[in-house]
Amino acid sequence: MHDEIDVRIARLFSELPEAGAEVGERALARALDALPTPQTRRRSPLRTVAVLSAAAAFVLALAAGALAAAGALHVSFGASSPRQTTATVSQLTVPAGARGIAAVVDGRLWLTTSSGLRLEGLPVTAAALSPHAQYVAAGIGDALVAIAPDGRRAWSHPTAGPVAAISWAPDGLRIAYIVAGRGGFRLHIIEGDGAHDELIDRAVRTVQPSWRADSLAVAYVAAGGTPVVYDLGHRSRQVVTSPSAREATQLAFAPRGRALAVATQHGFLVTGAGAPTNGGTFAPSVVAGVGWLDDQIVLAVDPASASDQGPFIQLFRLDHGEAIPMGQLIPPATIQALDTDGRRLTVTVSNRSGIRVFASSPAATVRKAQLPRLPALLQLAPGTRVGSVAVR
Amino acid sequence: MRERTDRDLVRRTRRGDRDAAAVLFRRYWQSAWRTAFVITGRRALADDVAADAFERAFAALDRFDDRRPFAPWLHRIVANRALDLLRSERRLADDEPPEPVDLQPDRDSGDRGLLAAVVELSLERRIPVILRYGVGMTPKQIAATLDLPVGTVNSRLARALEQLRDSFEAHDARRD
Repeated sequence: MHDEIDVRIARLFSELPEAGAEVGERALARALDALPTPQTRRRSPLRTVAVLSAAAAFVLALAAGALAAAGALHVSFGASSPRQTTATVSQLTVPAGARGIAAVVDGRLWLTTSSGLRLEGLPVTAAALSPHAQYVAAGIGDALVAIAPDGRRAWSHPTAGPVAAISWAPDGLRIAYIVAGRGGFRLHIIEGDGAHDELIDRAVRTVQPSWRADSLAVAYVAAGGTPVVYDLGHRSRQVVTSPSAREATQLAFAPRGRALAVATQHGFLVTGAGAPTNGGTFAPSVVAGVGWLDDQIVLAVDPASASDQGPFIQLFRLDHGEAIPMGQLIPPATIQALDTDGRRLTVTVSNRSGIRVFASSPAATVRKAQLPRLPALLQLAPGTRVGSVAVR
Repeated sequence: MRERTDRDLVRRTRRGDRDAAAVLFRRYWQSAWRTAFVITGRRALADDVAADAFERAFAALDRFDDRRPFAPWLHRIVANRALDLLRSERRLADDEPPEPVDLQPDRDSGDRGLLAAVVELSLERRIPVILRYGVGMTPKQIAATLDLPVGTVNSRLARALEQLRDSFEAHDARRD
């Protein structure tokens, strides 16, 4: 009987589905990229010095070993631990002064926090860091899950479908999330401990909701493409009626006050700070992201194929109802994702050699920061699709 | 022309021969992918696990002892990566392992009765069975792959085969 099972299992294994050809080619490319650079033997005129250095290092190593044996120093000998390579992320670094970084790459969450929480390649549908990066909320299967600083599930809330976007309120007490349901997407708000889930709107677009600085209002895009501000205190909705705001693609409340920046296909406007301010248009370019650094509006603009101009990040200052251009930064390649926490800009740029994530320091303006000169927080394989990235 | 051995390909790859690396990859890609597929039960996860395993293996090739066979070492990385992924999902989503949604008998051709029985095996038993009869590892190699004593592997294989035999009998009885 066992012999028969041997044969049948072997046959079954050979009859299982195969990986797609494209998947295989992509995997091969990634595997080849991971190969270590072959070391060539070179004879250097400084060989004698090197030998002496090695001898000195050996003596030092012996001394270190003695200290280690005495418990005074932690030291390890032999081969280094295996390099932690992953399918897509070759580097993941929390920038100085930040608490954590999270990126959703090809439907997987990569996350590191300064408190030691680390997730590598967790399949998610969306994710968002809480303020100060203490917790992370993620869409896993048909549930909204909060992950605690120790890496364990803090709570899980079943949803009607996959979670498409998540936004944590600045005070950490509520989470707005968009979930796929029958016939469309719905906006919910749930408390930060997973209690009191509430349906806010039955027909919305999958644009990341944005919280007002006081955490008492959240902006989202209705199914028709119009921005809406939902006030939790009054349980009321205010529709942004300006024609310039139709077909909104991105929303961002200012880090202070009530100003809301609305990006559309070809431009942006600011509302909530007195009269709506039309920021300008970039036709035929596409606004890929919008955010705030202090009182400056940050706009990431990607050119349409018809344009010769490269992608750029445009800064504006609001002055008495006018959006005054402050300057441009030309990143080295196409912008995939942009996020701001009011003080820091995190941006993902891609070119043929790969994708990199940069973050400015809180004190620096984008212009001074010179993104290409900053160390990359993440390095991703070419062709990777970045869903979202955030530093908190 | 005689086919190059794994050891030869590994050594050439270490010296920077990307063609040799590609041959090595193609020799084991489908096997690695199917192993990941049987463990995770989902095509998308198998894509990532297998690709990730090859990336890790190639990155660590300088540390691989080429006196040992390459395939068990690679499949160990595949199995460990797949298990890590399932553990993190189980820890975060619920206490039960996720359903192997793409590995259902009614979706795949071949021996459906056997596939149903294999899918019903716990991961603890399914993985040794696949490594033994699908990949062709010896119990000793499986033990090294899963960091288990050889006796435990033999015990799990025996219990798995027993369970499979019972499942066959039940399946055949239902069919009759």
